[in-house]
Amino acid sequence: MSPVPPILELRGVHKRYTVGAGLLARRRTLTAVSGVSLRLERSEVLGLVGESGCGKSTLARMILGLEEPSEGEVLLDGRPISRLGRLERGRLVQPVFQDPYSSLNPRRNVAAIIGLPLAVHGVGTAAERRDAVAEMLGLVGLAPRHAEAYPSQLSGGQRQRIAIARALVLRPTLVVCDEPTSALDVSVQSQILNLLLDLRERLGLSYLFISHNLAVVQMLAGRVAAMYLGRIVEEGEAERVLGHPRHPYTAALLASVLTPDPSLGLPEMRLGTAFPNPLSVPPGCAFHPRCPAVFDRCPREAPALLPCPEGGRAACHLIEQPEGGPPPPRLVQAA
Amino acid sequence: MSGTADLLLDVRGLEVDIPVAGGTLHAVRGISLAARRGETLCIVGESGCGKSLTSLALMGLLPPSAKRRAERLSFAGEDLLSASPRRLRALRGDRMAMVFQDPMTCLNPSLTIGDQLTETFLRHGKGNTRAARDRAVTLLERVGIAAAANRLGQYPHQLSGGLRQRVVIAMALMCGPDLVLADEPTTALDATIQLGILQLLAELQREMHMALVLVTHDLGIVARIADRVAVMYAGQVVEEGTVGDVFGAPRHPYTRGLMDCIPQPGRTVPGTRLGTIPGMVPSLVGELRGCSFRGRCPYAMPACAEPIALREGPDGHSWRCVLPAEALARAA
Ligand SMILES: Nc1ncnc2c1ncn2[C@@H]1O[C@H](COP(=O)(O)OP(=O)(O)O)[C@@H](O)[C@H]1O
Ligand SMILES: Nc1ncnc2c1ncn2[C@@H]1O[C@H](COP(=O)(O)OP(=O)(O)O)[C@@H](O)[C@H]1O
Ligand SMILES: [Mg+2]
Ligand SMILES: [Mg+2]
Repeated sequence: MSPVPPILELRGVHKRYTVGAGLLARRRTLTAVSGVSLRLERSEVLGLVGESGCGKSTLARMILGLEEPSEGEVLLDGRPISRLGRLERGRLVQPVFQDPYSSLNPRRNVAAIIGLPLAVHGVGTAAERRDAVAEMLGLVGLAPRHAEAYPSQLSGGQRQRIAIARALVLRPTLVVCDEPTSALDVSVQSQILNLLLDLRERLGLSYLFISHNLAVVQMLAGRVAAMYLGRIVEEGEAERVLGHPRHPYTAALLASVLTPDPSLGLPEMRLGTAFPNPLSVPPGCAFHPRCPAVFDRCPREAPALLPCPEGGRAACHLIEQPEGGPPPPRLVQAA
Repeated sequence: MSGTADLLLDVRGLEVDIPVAGGTLHAVRGISLAARRGETLCIVGESGCGKSLTSLALMGLLPPSAKRRAERLSFAGEDLLSASPRRLRALRGDRMAMVFQDPMTCLNPSLTIGDQLTETFLRHGKGNTRAARDRAVTLLERVGIAAAANRLGQYPHQLSGGLRQRVVIAMALMCGPDLVLADEPTTALDATIQLGILQLLAELQREMHMALVLVTHDLGIVARIADRVAVMYAGQVVEEGTVGDVFGAPRHPYTRGLMDCIPQPGRTVPGTRLGTIPGMVPSLVGELRGCSFRGRCPYAMPACAEPIALREGPDGHSWRCVLPAEALARAA
């Protein structure tokens, strides 16, 4: 008996883009994703967090087969994604994107939008497809009458429900949710998050849940990975990573979550203002120009993603410092 | 409590109507607000509730089709309703300044940072070119921009979004305003960058003893920065008070509902369901009678269809709801 493979495995995945079009501009290589290795087990929710531009959506597109890695491998259910047929792939992984306005075809009605993946792959008879669409509408909490509506007649929350129904109609195992609630008001966001929780329980789905909002991620994710300039800098059980972050970047992301508690003021956080630029990644640890705990080793040497004593992995030289040993020498930080 | 001398912005019964295809959109429906020197007032509500139109109406910057009415709209004791366009221009940028969500609203892409910063200062006759330049450098340093003198020659597109917003804040402060009105100034920014901007605004507000009116949809920001908060729904302020009172013991079911929708690390147990507010905001086209939240309210009763009087508690806490004050006092 062979062990069940993880639904998703990334092995040393890189994605490089050539940028700088035009006659005079110098062509340069932008590394959007750099050496990412991750596993996502069946029925698990992995939260992927990080600031805009750190490579989350690029990673998502490679997992969905919309782009090919420049290097490394994406495996779905133990098989390289490049060797899967389109239908096979569609039955393993489906997306839900941020913007329910631009991701739905405005010229098609809801039934056609949800049924499209079935029609494209010629799955079932016309009658079976109609039944499947009706079932999906119910599953995502929409009324049968919505089948005839067009996206422009629906609210943002209803559109996101349709995007979810379309993602589920092929009964995938993994759903890649890329900022699924970032464009929504909080009262609508909570409905969509509740729906995603319900669907996971009912259908045993796995999610790769991408968000810049850690409060949202901690609602859903069993495991969390934090990304900075294309690299995973910390990864592990959500409780550990969000409860006791070991990487100063994860700690900074957490500190910047503003819970609506008026007894607390604005948290003190002194991250340097050096805005991360994937076209000029700092040497050594890419986070060092902003890191409040930077010391002399950081600009010289890139830290490896190593196991932490508390579980999970983190890429920070501080972790290799002996517990209770002398504090590492501090660099004087530029203001 | 601060005295009337500190009252900078005094607004009573502000209304904004916009003609639209089906009739008149009553986007702002009788708002009263007060902003005091040394205080931060937050206006919070979900998209479309009228926050931006309220801000623009206060600054006299509404689009031409929008009609503004108010019982009172005064700034530092001066009536803005009867003020000439010329007088308003003189006040704006000098004693009252505005910061928008998109920094490019305030920045000209074809002018250098330095030209734009000094222009406001010079236009309002605050001093000569030399003084303007010195003040620009001081303020750029103050908003955390390194090598400020070298930035003066740069163009907006050479800066990141976070830096641009810092430049806009510096620009708003060039003439030392009494009031800064910021409409979603950090909404487009990452949380770490947002925090830096909020810290900056809070520090500057204290240091310069200004009134800060911060418009946002984010209750977390409000909780951490506001002295007072006005919660808006469908063009009205449904609840107003100190942030401790409004968040600690909300009196309006909409405020309560919004708080319950937010996941809070450390409080919300992972995997549990969040609160929701079913239904949708009613159309604001045409006449609306009674409470505009009643169609979505779990406590709605026949009295909600009648005009709702403003009720008041201690410390100026006020709300528009007929429920007994204790009705929402269950555990947060
Ligand atoms: N097709 C592309 N060509 C060039 N650069 C790209 C392309 N797609 C993404 N990038 C760059 O890659 C980086 C990561 O982008 P993205 O994956 O969208 O980040 P995130 O989703 O975390 O905000 C960014 O610097 C972005 O500008
Ligand atoms: N120029 C305009 N013409 C027509 N309707 C408008 C205009 N500006 C805003 N509105 C409408 O007025 C209402 C309030 O808008 P706004 O003040 O921008 O809300 P908020 O800032 O709270 O999101 C919304 O329903 C919006 O669609
Ligand atoms: Mg993205
Ligand atoms: Mg607005």
